[in-house]
Amino acid sequence: MIKLQIQLFAHVKAQGSTHNGRDSAGRRLGAKAADGELIPAGSIIYRQRGTKIYPGNNVGMGKDHTLYALITGYVKFERKGRDKKQVSVYIEK
Amino acid sequence: MIKVKINYDGNVIKSFKVSGHANHDEYGKDIVCASVSSIVITSINLALKLDKESVVATDKPGLIETSILKQDDVINKVFVNMVDMLKELEKDYSKNIKIL
Repeated sequence: MIKLQIQLFAHVKAQGSTHNGRDSAGRRLGAKAADGELIPAGSIIYRQRGTKIYPGNNVGMGKDHTLYALITGYVKFERKGRDKKQVSVYIEK
Repeated sequence: MIKVKINYDGNVIKSFKVSGHANHDEYGKDIVCASVSSIVITSINLALKLDKESVVATDKPGLIETSILKQDDVINKVFVNMVDMLKELEKDYSKNIKIL
């Protein structure tokens, strides 16, 4: 006798499929200039979401919170208050 | 698509082979597959009940091969009826089953 398998001619059970598996490309955030590095005015120092690091002396902040040098000088990462950081640019090291 | 290959000896069915996938719906919901499986397996099991040496059949997912060993009028009518029902099914689901 043959066992009655009513899906004998059905396509093999599809493996579980997920609807995940998508991701956007990395945004390459973070530092673009190192502490003590000489950079020209206008160059980007730090890319960030929100103000992980605040603009210090001679540093401007774009609308996407990008920090950039307002003058040509040396980069200096500093503390800001108790638990914050800022970055400044100084003419001398 | 399910393919049904029938071999006749004159107007008597000697053997047949049912193979393939209906692809009408996903596993567990494929009504064409369920119909074909039920028609074929019921016919084979009926023949074996009538005479357990009349038929030899092998089955695995997507394939049933059957040889009819004893040419007897009743056994032949069982399989002629099977073929007629599969032909009925083919009319409504010609994309999923084909009688060769």
